[in-house]
Amino acid sequence: MDRVSTVFILQSIHQVLKAEKALERAGLPFDLIPVPKEVNPECGMAVETPPDQANRVRDLLDQTGLRVVAAYHRSGREFTPLDPVPTT
Amino acid sequence: MTPIYLDQAATSFPKPPAVAEAMHRALTESAASPGRSAHRFSLSAARAIFDARELVARLFSVEDSSRIAFTANVTQALNTALFGLIRSGDHVLTTGLEHNSVMRPLGWLAERLGVEVTVVDCPGGGPADPEDFAGAKTARTRLAVVNHASNVTGVIQPLAEIKAALGDVPLVVDAAQTAGALPLTAADSGADVLAFTGHKALCGPTGTGGLWVSPDLDIEPLVHGGTGSRSEHEAQPEFMPDRLEAGTPNTIGLAGLAAGLDFVLTTGVQSIRDHEKNLTARFLTGAADVPGLTVYGPLDPDRRVAVVSLNIQGWSPSDLARSLEQDFHILTRSGLHCAPRAHRTIGAFPQGAVRFSFGLFNTPDEIDAAIGALGRLARRT
Repeated sequence: MDRVSTVFILQSIHQVLKAEKALERAGLPFDLIPVPKEVNPECGMAVETPPDQANRVRDLLDQTGLRVVAAYHRSGREFTPLDPVPTT
Repeated sequence: MTPIYLDQAATSFPKPPAVAEAMHRALTESAASPGRSAHRFSLSAARAIFDARELVARLFSVEDSSRIAFTANVTQALNTALFGLIRSGDHVLTTGLEHNSVMRPLGWLAERLGVEVTVVDCPGGGPADPEDFAGAKTARTRLAVVNHASNVTGVIQPLAEIKAALGDVPLVVDAAQTAGALPLTAADSGADVLAFTGHKALCGPTGTGGLWVSPDLDIEPLVHGGTGSRSEHEAQPEFMPDRLEAGTPNTIGLAGLAAGLDFVLTTGVQSIRDHEKNLTARFLTGAADVPGLTVYGPLDPDRRVAVVSLNIQGWSPSDLARSLEQDFHILTRSGLHCAPRAHRTIGAFPQGAVRFSFGLFNTPDEIDAAIGALGRLARRT
């Protein structure tokens, strides 16, 4: 079955690790994944979360002062840009 | 006999055991390239560096740890700030107590780019007068670079007052002798750039250092190259810390630095300061009774860090340091301490002086042993 999720691309590995700490502290579900090559040639990491948690995750990233460069809805290997990026 | 190590201003020794343990763990369990790959070892290495960065941020009371870039040492950090901010035709202020890590880059910039350098005097190796900065400032003044405490006389400079005199002119602070040894926050210090080393009072290994850069300041990179970010672009990223961190970093060293920082923060910088000040006061009191001994800089321990340079009449600094080691197993450093300008300021150029410097793990008994040795050697001439 295709994996369905929301993927957040952050500015740098520093920001990804800052996000990791904040998300862990908040108890929100997430994974760190390699930045999908389908969306960005970047060689860093991205934050992946279930779609129903995307708004909460996005809010927390904003509150932590992190810069979301882009966000995508993922279905398998298909990535659809979220425009606007999910926010409450 | 166990050596008495009184060369802490060069590099601290011993280190807390957790430093070597952290480095061993990093080297044997996950010695991958941090932030370059997506596998767990790379991520683990990146986390070690992230932790070190967050701890430096705590040390300096900085909210945004991304403004801290790691370098190989404080010299590279200072070069990054100076070459990244100063342009042809600029004017720069500094003091008569600076290390060659400042004087040599400034000398190069003066010779090659026509940068004008004004050296503010520090009479007798004491603090600079902040008013002298106000008086020397011109419309072309790009920045001032000042060491927080001298590696020769130990004198603590009045940074906040100097910054007040500078106004909008950025202040670059060389905190080589003070990061971890004196309470120091980015905001209170007035610094726009804080350059630090990891291997002195922060108890980390050599090969570690860095700089905090104010969010209001953009420093052009000294080194350009891979960062693991924006790899599709052939230009250095504009965001920190990647902007100033090209090339694979010293992950193992930074893992050790994180352990050192953790130790320092757990112990408390004020406690460390109190201990080192007590040792310095004890040493200065004892030194006052040694015949023919001259201490450079202010004698008040409140006005200096745990660094004391001295000479004894009839002794060359190198012979004195050699006898201290051979006859008493006391390890010090003689010569110019990579700071010829400072030695000119105190009138000890070119012969230099013998420097005693104390740290967290030194004891009052060791101070007494050093004073006893100096007394015996002074009477031997």
